Formats: sequence, structure tokens, C-alpha cells
Amino acid sequence: MSIRNIFLITLAIGFLFLAAGCKSESKSEIKVVNFEQLEPAFTKNDDVLYVVNFWATWCGPCVKELPHFMEVYEEFKSNKKFKMILVSLDDSDNLETAVKSFIIRMNLKGELYLLDDIKKMNEWIPAVNKDWSGSIPATLVIKNGQTLSFDSRDLSKDELIERISKHL
Amino acid sequence: MKTISKIAGLLMITLFSFGTLSAQGGYKIGDEATDFKLKNVDNKMVSMADFKDAKGFIVIFTCNHCPYSKAYEDRKIALSKKYAPLGYPVIAINPNDPAAEPMDSFELMQVRAKEKNFPYPYLFDDGQKIYPQYGATRTPHVFVLKKENNKHIVKYIGAIDDNYKNANDVSNKYVEAAVDALLAGKEVEVKTTVAVGCSIKVKK
Repeated sequence: MSIRNIFLITLAIGFLFLAAGCKSESKSEIKVVNFEQLEPAFTKNDDVLYVVNFWATWCGPCVKELPHFMEVYEEFKSNKKFKMILVSLDDSDNLETAVKSFIIRMNLKGELYLLDDIKKMNEWIPAVNKDWSGSIPATLVIKNGQTLSFDSRDLSKDELIERISKHL
Repeated sequence: MKTISKIAGLLMITLFSFGTLSAQGGYKIGDEATDFKLKNVDNKMVSMADFKDAKGFIVIFTCNHCPYSKAYEDRKIALSKKYAPLGYPVIAINPNDPAAEPMDSFELMQVRAKEKNFPYPYLFDDGQKIYPQYGATRTPHVFVLKKENNKHIVKYIGAIDDNYKNANDVSNKYVEAAVDALLAGKEVEVKTTVAVGCSIKVKK
């Protein structure tokens, strides 16, 4: 093999890695978790403001508010002390179909999870917030394990920004 | 001046408490539950008072359209078959407004009851007057009542069990445990659980 060919192949492989790297940055990967696995993601003592939104593809008001959650995400994402976490309560059976296609279509960003922990609902619903009935959409704003706000309803873009900028 | 501000303060507190009461609404454990007179799918009116020999009731707010209600249909039938002979009949009540959710009309209730051969009354909360008194927020939403001195006392509120998705993978049968305890004259251990289901449909 000539040096020129080796060089070309290495370049090609290099581009492949670059492309793969770029793809995983913009690709919205979703992790299926139970609550025990999910909770540490937003209860860290790291001075980071976490916005945790509970939603599902079958929830009309959730679907309606997600685009402006994404607009707000774009505004704040460069701030290292801000993180947006989207938690889908869709049926895990629908992950590969309804959920993933929805994520791609809506271009959902942030840390994406599907919470699959049906039998523990009676425990994790009150753990997220003692007054929560479990209805969605619901948005928790939390820092260092301390709840700063919890809304068991849809939020307007302004309301969301207000809850964030107050604590950043 | 001082008296006026005191009165104003008292007034505000009263107004706020009423506000909170009406906002939360519904029964707590130990409250007396209201009876009702609602139309069954066979067009007859049904009240808890009709069940002279009952020791209590398993009141389930449920409907036709909600996937969670549907997922529990066989389990509701099983509860009825097990506990009606023991003195705790199931009474199902549809709390939804058909104007908000057409699939929960009285006619479609009759269709479903016939399809599944419901062994229990399936009543229509006409005008949606009963469910707000109970404080039901979801379908299904269970209220287990025990008759004490001719009153229906709330002993359990919440879900039927811990797995709406898979009847074969249930670890906690909340309603059965509650009724078993009441039948044995014991205290109900798990008195309330989060009700999992669809929101109750109200016309806006």
C-alpha cells in the first residue's frame, strides 16, 4: 500500500470519527431508567440549576409546551450551571416507535430519559414532590437537592424563564 | 384602626381557608362519604342504602375511554366476584362529562357493561355532582368505605394495585389488602396511595 493511500485511508477514518462525534452531539439519546437511577441525575450537590420536565407523547399540554422549553434550553445551554432534563413517562414498549420518532421530529435536546418504574409510582411521585398527583406536564426546578419550584401544570415561556433566571 | 385591621385580617384568613378547602376538596381517611342516587346501565337508580346487608363498599370512579380504566376492567370484575359475597360490593361510577369526552356517554357505558358482563352497578354521575364530593381526580380512583353506625366511613383511597400495565406482575394489591383488613377487624395498613390514571373530564 502506497503512503498516499494510507494517508487517504487515515483521512477517511478521521472524517468518519469526526462525523460520528458530531452526530452524537446533536443526536438526542434517550436512556430508559427507573427512579433510583434517575434521581441522582438532578439531586447532585454541584450548584447546577436543574430544570426537570415530566412529559409524554400522549399528553397534549406537554407536547404544546415542549417547543418553548427547547427555546429556553437554547438560551441557557451555554451556562455550565444550567441543565435541562426531560423525563418521558411514555410506555417503555413505545420507546423505539412513538417516543424516538417524536424526539427526532421535535428535535428534543438536553438530557433525555424515559422513566420506566410503574410499580414504584406510589413512591417516586411523592418523592419528586409531596403535593404532586402524578399528572403531567410537571416541571421541577432544583439545585443542590433543594426544590426551588414545582409546577404541576404547563408553563409559558416567560414563567419558565422567570423560574430559571431567578436562581441562576 | 387596630380593630379594623384585626377584622380585615380575620376576614382574609377565613376567605383563604375556604379557598383552600374548595381547591383541595374531597374526603380524607375517616371522613363520612355521601350516599348517592345515580342511574345504572339498566336504567334503574342505585344508592348504597339499597345494599342492606353490605358491610362496606368498594367505590371505583372509572370510565369507558381511559386506557388505565380499561387495563383494570378484569381486575375490577375479580374484586366484585371476590368481595361482594363477603359484604363489600363494588360500585363503579363514571364521573366524566360526555360533552367533554363523548366516549364516556351513558349509551357507551351500557355497551361496555354488556360486552364485559359487569357483575357490579356502573353508574352515571349525572351533572358530575358526586365525584367532587369524594375528591376523585383520576379514573380509576378507588374509595373503600366501611359501614359504621349507618355511616359510610372512608378507609382507603387510591389505586387498585401497583401495576396498571401488567396484572400478572403485581406486588401490592392495595384494595384487597384494605378490604381484607376491614373484614378481619384490623387497621388498614396502607390507607392512601397515588391514584394512577386519566384526569377526570370536565367541559371547559
